[in-house]
Amino acid sequence: MASNAAVPFWRTAGMTYITYSNICANLVRNCLKEPYKTEALSREKVHFSISKWTNGKPEKPTIRSDSSEE
Amino acid sequence: MAMAALRREGRRFAPLISPRPITAVRSSPPALSHEDEGPIGVRYVSTQVVRNRMKSVKSIQKITKAMKMVAASKLRAIQTKAENSRGLWQPFTALLGDLPSVDVKKNVVVTISSDKGLCGGINSTSVKISKGLHKLNSGPEKETKYVILGEKAKAQLVRDSKKDIELIITELQKNPLSYTQVSVLADEILKNVEYDALRIVFNKFHSVVSFVPTVSTVLSPEIVEREAESGGKLGDLDSYEIEGGETKGEILQNLSEFQFSCVMFNAVLENACSEQGARMSAMDSSSRNAGDMLDRLTLTYNRTRQASITTELIEIISGASALEG
Repeated sequence: MASNAAVPFWRTAGMTYITYSNICANLVRNCLKEPYKTEALSREKVHFSISKWTNGKPEKPTIRSDSSEE
Repeated sequence: MAMAALRREGRRFAPLISPRPITAVRSSPPALSHEDEGPIGVRYVSTQVVRNRMKSVKSIQKITKAMKMVAASKLRAIQTKAENSRGLWQPFTALLGDLPSVDVKKNVVVTISSDKGLCGGINSTSVKISKGLHKLNSGPEKETKYVILGEKAKAQLVRDSKKDIELIITELQKNPLSYTQVSVLADEILKNVEYDALRIVFNKFHSVVSFVPTVSTVLSPEIVEREAESGGKLGDLDSYEIEGGETKGEILQNLSEFQFSCVMFNAVLENACSEQGARMSAMDSSSRNAGDMLDRLTLTYNRTRQASITTELIEIISGASALEG
């Protein structure tokens, strides 16, 4: 249990720093007031299609399309 | 009188000689849709064919002009974003340096390209540089893998580097580009790919006519440690004070992930700018070529028209003189 470095809670939960900062940014965006809030949330949309290849063969592509990071 | 005779003779010869515009609809296309041999062995193309060609070239010219304007407006929108994003990775380069000559075992080449075509040669140059990097970094116990963004690079790299491909990502530009999108993407790459050094290949946007292919290198935290020990720019890392109770290894890992995300963001934006700029210049030269083609076709059309009129006249006059004579 004791480790030399104090690893932050999110690192032990398996998140990378990028995921952590995206969640924090989403929390900040949710604190905005109404007209700016919808504008900011519309900037957050994510959409791409990713396909992992093993040994020269593609697997089925998955579409990663979430409207916001939660 | 003479004109009436001319017109009557003209109609009789209609199937052989090119028809007047009014009778164009009634004339039979098959007889005219290939090169006709005139009476004296004069070969000329039917004006019907030339006219159709001119119509299609003109509409192509209009389309390419419209595409150029669309690309110009998209470029304006993205350019400010790209220039603002340059400030994100510059501190990282100042701190950690950009070492393209680093010698590592596991290289991953991230090739950034566009999904749509008609944008000149930028995708081919990116793929050429990626292949060059692959060759440069191959050797005993060294391996290079590809992560491909965009349909165009996928089409080229799938042909001969199938077994080295790790991930393919497409449909990136469906929503306007934002940091959130690119960071989620970077996260996926970090989770799925083992790497010692990531080399990102993209086209840097210097100006509307110049797109320079560049490579940015992001190192994994272990390699940063190793390089720090060997001195040089990274050796100064120890002189920085670390606050907040984290260790140096911790910080390096966070920094490395964030660096990758920032560099990817900038690379994707710059590549998008280059794509729009290249499309603008490609469509511009295409419109100009279409204009040249139209000029040449107009000359051919007029020449053909005049030749057919002359031939008709000759026949009528020789027929008339034969009758008299």
